[in-house]
Amino acid sequence: MTVAWQQEEKRLTPDEVQAVTFPLSRIGRRGFDEDHVRAFLQEVEREIVTLLNEKVSLWNEVERLRRRIITGMKQSGDNDGVLFGREDAHVHAVRILSNAQLTADRYVADAQAYSHRLTEEARNRRDEILNEAQQHADLVLEEASSRAREAALATLNAPVPNQMEADRSALKAELAYLRTFGEVYRTHLRAYTEGMLRSISEWERSEARTIDQASSDVRGSYDLGR
Amino acid sequence: MDVLGLKDSFSRIAAYGDEVPLFFYSDLFIKHPEVRDLFPISMKTQREHLIGALAQIVAQVDRLEDLTVFVQSLGRDHRKFGAVAEHYEAVGDSLLATLGHFAGDTWTPELAADWAAAYGLVASVMIEAAKEDEASRPAFWRGTVLSCEQRAFDINVLHVRAEPRLDFRPGQSVAIESPRRPRLWRYYSIANAPREDGTLDFHVRLIDGGAVSMALTYGQEPGGSLRLGPPIGVLTLDATCGRDLLMVAGSTGLAPLKALIEQVAGLPALPAVQLFFCARTADGLYDLPSLEKLAGEHQWLTVVPVISSELRSRGESGSVTDVVMRAGNWSGHDAYLAGPTEMVRDTAARLTSAGTPRSQIHIEDFGWSEP
Repeated sequence: MTVAWQQEEKRLTPDEVQAVTFPLSRIGRRGFDEDHVRAFLQEVEREIVTLLNEKVSLWNEVERLRRRIITGMKQSGDNDGVLFGREDAHVHAVRILSNAQLTADRYVADAQAYSHRLTEEARNRRDEILNEAQQHADLVLEEASSRAREAALATLNAPVPNQMEADRSALKAELAYLRTFGEVYRTHLRAYTEGMLRSISEWERSEARTIDQASSDVRGSYDLGR
Repeated sequence: MDVLGLKDSFSRIAAYGDEVPLFFYSDLFIKHPEVRDLFPISMKTQREHLIGALAQIVAQVDRLEDLTVFVQSLGRDHRKFGAVAEHYEAVGDSLLATLGHFAGDTWTPELAADWAAAYGLVASVMIEAAKEDEASRPAFWRGTVLSCEQRAFDINVLHVRAEPRLDFRPGQSVAIESPRRPRLWRYYSIANAPREDGTLDFHVRLIDGGAVSMALTYGQEPGGSLRLGPPIGVLTLDATCGRDLLMVAGSTGLAPLKALIEQVAGLPALPAVQLFFCARTADGLYDLPSLEKLAGEHQWLTVVPVISSELRSRGESGSVTDVVMRAGNWSGHDAYLAGPTEMVRDTAARLTSAGTPRSQIHIEDFGWSEP
């Protein structure tokens, strides 16, 4: 009897490598470049996946050879039967389909991990933008209210009508500026948000394409198995 | 039947890990290609479920009463996946072939016969439970999307008609399958009390990387079809308790609680209901206008919006649990909690230590953030 391939649950899986996160180093301290770390992790993940695949096919190969020997011992002398048993062909088909299934699983897992990363990044970016917008809006508001206060004081303290007229047109100008500023800001924010929604739809479509591809891969090797 | 022999052979076979279910499904699909369509494209989760279910069955094989309950629910559950009695024989064949393959030299005719007998028993209980279930309800309900409303960039509210009429208790959930993600079912709470026209509301939040939530949040259009499983869940109202109600909803955890509020509105004796509706950011309070309208119509209902991460906001801010605990003494209330697992767990723990008996705290047992 062959030995089981160690306890699987304690081993590092490609998913764990894919999902690992590291805390950011404190400001002012040096840390590794995030993109390099990520790229290396992807390489590690691919390597593990390849190794796992090789392991599965090797294991199947061992199993197949073991069976040949057993069959061979039973039917001693009948070499053709040993090499091309019916059962052997079936195990072979099972192995091919298993590998195809693992490939499909990986396609789906990759697509999901990709969409996870994109959504997460989009969410963070959106939070940043909203925060920035909030701070900006606060500034504008503060400025507007302090100007309004100044204007009110000026009205109280300025008896000369000409001066008042000048103040009024200055205030009108201010108002026009603020209104324009507000419009420009809204337009920018809207364009950005729409752009973001379009990208999300695009990911969605590309994910669908990947899954279709994976699905036809499964079906392809399936027909082979049949 | 040699129970120890079964357990012993299973533990040796299970040591091969993922290779066992991988072999099983490949063997099954090669011998019965038509069965492949009952499964999703990625089989990873499926393989884990198979080994999990087998392990539980083998562990309880000598405690038939506990086992029967589990196996019956498995049988009923498999109806919506399209499993029929003929499939059980095919599965049995491949299961025995797989066990034999991995057991190698230790696979004796006696062991094979024991496994066949054990599987036969399990299959007959599953088939029987499915048949009984068939008398009272369909395998799944056909859902048609009547309208959908994008409330935030990651929240979509679906209004759905189910055929035939789907009867449920407020607070319950159903599994949903989208044709864009075939064979992937995820649980969603129904966000309304039963209506005369039988329509259902679902609040869907996009989970990062979530396959089904993605399909339900984006690209849904009126006329689109869904499949709905039977209603399940224990987050239902104990209308006879006579106590006032505290409700804490995190994000789309609001859905079941909104159903309960609608139910309360129809009760003869109205308890006071205080609802804390929490989200990370202001636009996460996706249903606030409708809740405020309800609170305006009903004196017994108070709605407190809570935002957990923004500095400035319309409502209270800070951790929702802190806000709830600051707001009053809840030891005489019945508490209904729904939302992210961590929020529900923390709030339940704080309420318990502040004197609310555990029996008065109502939560759903499954996680809300399934991908």
